[in-house]
Amino acid sequence: MDNGRLLEIRNLKTYFHVRGGVLKAVDDVSLTIAQGETLGLVGESGCGKSVTASTVMGLIPMPPGFIAGGEVVFEGRDLLKVPESRMREIRGNKISMIFQEPMTSLNPVFTVGDQVAEVIRLHEKLSRKETRERVIESFRLVGIPAAESRIDDYPHQMSGGMRQRVMIAMALACHPKLMIADEPTTALDVTIQAQILELMNTLKSETGASILFITHDLGVIAEMAQNVAVMYAGKVMEAADAQTLFADPRHPYTRGLLSSIPIVGLDKKARRLSTIPGVVPSLFSLPRGCLFHERCSVGRKECGTEEPPLIDLGKGHLVRCHI
Amino acid sequence: MRGMPEASTQKVSYWARMTNPEDRHPFFDQVEKLLKNRTGVAGLVIISLFALVSVLAPLLSPHDPVENALYDQLKPPVWQEGGATKNLLGTDDLGRDMLSRLIYGARVSLTLGVVSVGIALVFGSFLGAVAGYNKGWLDNLIMRFMDIVLAFPHILLAIVIVAYLGPGLRNAMIAIGIINIPRFARIVRASVIDEYEKDYVTAARAVGAKDGRIIFNAIFPNCLAPIIVQASLGFGAAILDAAGLSFLGLGAQPPTPEWGAMIAEGRAMILRAWWVMTFPGIAILLAVLGFNLLGDGLRDALDPRLRD
Repeated sequence: MDNGRLLEIRNLKTYFHVRGGVLKAVDDVSLTIAQGETLGLVGESGCGKSVTASTVMGLIPMPPGFIAGGEVVFEGRDLLKVPESRMREIRGNKISMIFQEPMTSLNPVFTVGDQVAEVIRLHEKLSRKETRERVIESFRLVGIPAAESRIDDYPHQMSGGMRQRVMIAMALACHPKLMIADEPTTALDVTIQAQILELMNTLKSETGASILFITHDLGVIAEMAQNVAVMYAGKVMEAADAQTLFADPRHPYTRGLLSSIPIVGLDKKARRLSTIPGVVPSLFSLPRGCLFHERCSVGRKECGTEEPPLIDLGKGHLVRCHI
Repeated sequence: MRGMPEASTQKVSYWARMTNPEDRHPFFDQVEKLLKNRTGVAGLVIISLFALVSVLAPLLSPHDPVENALYDQLKPPVWQEGGATKNLLGTDDLGRDMLSRLIYGARVSLTLGVVSVGIALVFGSFLGAVAGYNKGWLDNLIMRFMDIVLAFPHILLAIVIVAYLGPGLRNAMIAIGIINIPRFARIVRASVIDEYEKDYVTAARAVGAKDGRIIFNAIFPNCLAPIIVQASLGFGAAILDAAGLSFLGLGAQPPTPEWGAMIAEGRAMILRAWWVMTFPGIAILLAVLGFNLLGDGLRDALDPRLRD
C-alpha cells in the first residue's frame, strides 16, 4: 500500500444512458481516503454522492450505467477491473456499506440476527455456534441492550435507531477496512442521530477502519470527518481537511452552504436564514463554464464561458473556482 | 434454543411473545386475521373435513370402493324407496357402494391437487423469479412463452398433453400442473419486480451475496403471500380440471373412484339412478368451493392493502 492510502478514486466518471442522452452523474471525481481516516462527502441531493459510493461498491446497475473512465484503487487494486466473483468477496468483507433507510434496508421476513449471521456465513467458515456468538458480540459492540434475546427479533419489532445499529453491526461483522456510510443518520431523529454518530466514531477508533461518510449535513461532517470534499452537480468543488474547510472556505458554494446553517439564539435581524439562490442545475442541461456560476454571488464574466480547473492552494486544499 | 445456555429463559420469552399481541411473531397475527374471516373459516372447515376423510378413508368407508356386488346394482340411497342402510348413498351400476367410493375419491382428488399444484408452484415460481430478477431478453423469452401457454383454452391444452403422454391419473396430474405454471410464473414475477426495488435487496448485494441467493433467500420469502393464495385457489381449479379430464376418459381410469370419472360412469343412467351422478358432483362442488373460500380468506388476511 502506498503511504497509507486505503482507497484512491482517480478521475472517476460514472455516466448513465438515459432517454435523450448521457447523464453525467459523477464526472471526473478524485478522492483519497487514508487508513483510519474519515472522509466526508457533502453535497445537495442528486450531486453524485451516492453514485460515487455505489461505484466503489460495484453496485451501479449496468446498463443503464457505465464507467466512462477513471479508477478506484483499493489496497493497490483497481476495483473497476476486478471480476464480479472477486468483487463479491470484497463486498461486505473488506468494504461494507451502511444505508440511509434503516426501516427498509433490513429484510422483513428474517430475524435481525439471521441477517447479520448471513454476512458472516458468506465470507467466513464458522460453525453455527461460533457464528451466533459473533453476532451477539457484534450486537454488544454497537450497543444493543439484551443482545442475546434481541437477535431473535424481526425488524418490525425494533425502532429506527436500533435497526440502524443492526445495519452497523452487519457492516462491522467481518471487520472491514472501509465502511461506506450513505447518509446513515438522515432518517433518524436528532438524539438518535447523535448516538449513532458517537457510536461510529468509537467503533472507528476501536477497529481502525476508514469511513467514507456521505451526508448533506455539514454539522454532522464537523463531528465526524478529518477531510471533506464538497460535491456539486457531479464534480468536486472544494476539498480540504475539515478544519481548513470550516475556517477558511474558498469556494463560493461552500461558503453558501456554511452560511445556510441555521444558528440558534441570534437576535431578530440576524435570524433570517441565508440561502443560496436558484436550484441545482439539471444534469441534462448543465450550464457552460463553471457549473455554479448561475447561482454564484461573486461570479465574473469568464465564469460563464470557461470551466475553472481544480486549483491547489497547498496542504491538500483544492478549489474549483476562478476567484 | 440453538444451544444457548439460557435455553429455558428463551422458551419462556417465546411463550410470552406468542401470547403478547404487541410482540408475537407476525405469523400469529395472520392466523388470527384468517380466523376472524368467516368465508376463510368456512373454507378451512370444508377442506379440513375433506382432508380428514381422505386420511381416514379405510376406517370410514363401510365397503371396499372397487368391490362389485352383482345383487345390489343401482340401489337408491337409504331415504328412498328400496334403499337400505347397508348402502347409505346407494350403489352404482356394478353394485359398488357410493359412499365408500366418494370417500376414497376425496383421497384421489386431494393427492391430485397437491401434486399438480406442486408442479405448477415449483416450476412457475422458479421461472417467474428468474424472469422478474433478470429484466431483459430472458424475462421476455420466459413470459412470452407463458403467454402462449395461457392463450390456449385450459382444458384443451390439458387434453393435448394427456393425449401425448397417454391417459391416466398420473399424466392428468402432470398436464394440469403444466397448464397452471403460467399463473404462478406471472404472480411471482410481479412480486419479485416489486421487491427488487427495495433497499434490503441492495443491502444483500452490498454484503456480497450471489444472485441466486438474493432471489431465493432474500426476495422469494417476501413473495410468499400471493403464492399461498394462488396455491389455494389453484387447488380448486386443479380438482375441477382433473374431474373434467376424467369425465372425458383421459384422467383416472376405472375402477379408480375419481369423482369426475364417477360422473361419467353415471351419465348414461341419470334418469334411472340420479344418485350415481349427483353425489360425486356435489363432492366436487364442495371441495372446489372450500378451496376458493379459503383462498379468498387468505387473500384478505395476507394482502397488506386490504388490511385495516
